[in-house]
Amino acid sequence: MSAPILEIDDLRIAFASPDGIVRAVDGVSWQLNAGEMLGIVGESGCGKSVTAMSILRLLPGPPAMFASGAIRFRGEDLLTASEARMRALRGNAISMIFQDPMTSLNPVLTIGEQIAEVLILHQKLSKRAAWTRAGEMLDLVGIPDPVRRLADYPHQFSGGMRQRAMIALALACNPAVLIADEPTTALDVTIQAQIMELLARLRREMGTAIVLITHDLGVVAECCDRVVVMYAGTKVEEARVDALFARPSHPYTRGLLAAMPELDTPGDARHRRLAEIPGMVPSLKQAAVGCRFAPRCALADERCRQTIPALAPTSGEHADHFAACFRAHEPLPGTAA
Amino acid sequence: MSVVAFPRPLLDVRDLVKHYPTRTFWRDSPPVKALDGISFTLGAGETLGLVGESGCGKSTAAKTLLRLIEPTAGQILFDGADIATLSPAAFRPYRRELQIVFQDPYASLNPRLRAGEIVAEPLRNFGWDSRDGEQRVADLFARVGLNTDALKKYPHEFSGGQRQRLGIARALALNPRLIVLDEPVSALDVSIQAQVINLLEDLQADLGLSYIFVAHDLAVVRHISHRVAVMYLGRIVEIGPVDSLFTRPLHPYTRALLSAVPKISPAARQNRILLKGDLPSPAHPPSGCTFRTRCPQARPECAERAPQLVAHGNRHQVSCHFAETSA
Repeated sequence: MSAPILEIDDLRIAFASPDGIVRAVDGVSWQLNAGEMLGIVGESGCGKSVTAMSILRLLPGPPAMFASGAIRFRGEDLLTASEARMRALRGNAISMIFQDPMTSLNPVLTIGEQIAEVLILHQKLSKRAAWTRAGEMLDLVGIPDPVRRLADYPHQFSGGMRQRAMIALALACNPAVLIADEPTTALDVTIQAQIMELLARLRREMGTAIVLITHDLGVVAECCDRVVVMYAGTKVEEARVDALFARPSHPYTRGLLAAMPELDTPGDARHRRLAEIPGMVPSLKQAAVGCRFAPRCALADERCRQTIPALAPTSGEHADHFAACFRAHEPLPGTAA
Repeated sequence: MSVVAFPRPLLDVRDLVKHYPTRTFWRDSPPVKALDGISFTLGAGETLGLVGESGCGKSTAAKTLLRLIEPTAGQILFDGADIATLSPAAFRPYRRELQIVFQDPYASLNPRLRAGEIVAEPLRNFGWDSRDGEQRVADLFARVGLNTDALKKYPHEFSGGQRQRLGIARALALNPRLIVLDEPVSALDVSIQAQVINLLEDLQADLGLSYIFVAHDLAVVRHISHRVAVMYLGRIVEIGPVDSLFTRPLHPYTRALLSAVPKISPAARQNRILLKGDLPSPAHPPSGCTFRTRCPQARPECAERAPQLVAHGNRHQVSCHFAETSA
């Protein structure tokens, strides 16, 4: 395989808070290949959104925040790039869409003005050409009557249409990488299906590589090629999507899957008691001593509490499936292995 | 009309309507039909799931049942008595019987009260003396899985899951028979969601509670409900026992909704029915069947006549002119 288009290498991000340093991301590495859709999943506070924001350097700088490691886009380290260089990349080579399009679109500019702006800025198009292209973008993302809707303001769009407009805006300059941070979380399931279909189609047609950040394992299972599971600022498992769901290894991943009610279990699905993951996510203010998941893990032993497990291949035949667990092969008590 | 689920339903809702008048500066516009005549029953110890997309009226229905929103018309028979038209004073005793848990426990807990005071407040309102009340609050904390050292904490000191446990303890305080759960686990992470769902199921088994469970997550609704009602634009379009409705959905909207849920197992994925466009405005609903503008099977008749809920098999009702033929 050719060199990855985006590479996160031992990324560490810490925030200063009144009562100590919060290690939001604690040594995470992953790679995104050209044209690929990579899912990053995990629960609130696992560091998935902070990772995403750090790629475009949208986080506050020191002294509020400290970052180390590297974020390489086509080999160039974005953590040390100049602000002018970042401005040239943002919305051009790397774009981002957010959970709530209402708060990320400018309410006092029309949709057309916002899309035309990035085209004029990055692609040096004339005003007229940018407006025409903006109309084509709205058409591409499936907004009916696109040329007329260019003159609308964000509040005149429905939630699903706003997310489409965000996608049109993000893809206007044909970026190599799109970072989608919970793009469908605020949307109803029928609208979510429309948006995920749209992202899949645009990826096919434009070849954009997508980082999909979500808490929804179902969305990942349907859309992504590979998936990274995060817990408490660390990567606990990484695999191809089919391998992850067929053979989840890390006890946290297995716990998450067992805790989810299923839509398609025949018969007496509702009589199965959901598996709980006891306790809650640890505070990230202390440096990790052992495995971050150990206090909630049914398999944890003394070694887990003393030593941080390194990411290791789960078996010889699946060289691209990794888990950070000493006991990834053992069955969890109380669940089917 | 209504389905007889249990010998005597605890709750029997008949043609419940909530219209919001809208008036612009220069003229009256048609009202927003948030609830346009819904009917259902609920037995003791039963859970009815209410599902549908944003704006379908499911939360309005939940709040109208408790008269947190006053109904425009219709009957709410609770244990045989119509509570929809009672005066506030006459309705007050029923507040003990009907309780609610909200989606966002942070917004529904008073930030200036300690957890113990929050749970004691309904007891005080209904005349418990403070010594009995204290014991009751301690019992409730144990019941929902909160430590007694949590009694002195303020809501912001709890995690999301613990705050929801607190909201449940408050709802349980007066020994209600019916609890309306309005998106109770939507704001929680999966691992915490499982804890709260299990707690709700345990409480129902032990106390014989009836639940109205409002949610947009269909997997959660399937897990927890005995029966499910699917709403669209202020109406129930399909209602039935959970397994029947999920394995043999009859309304095209229910089928589209189920097919749109992302599934982990590749075997479970069916052909996705992608609905066109968005929900129409409830102030200007389409003529005839309100779903016809997005329905993949709409025919000319659908614009002319509004379909009624009709029984299809055991306790399963659907409002679609072509429910049999389109399956």
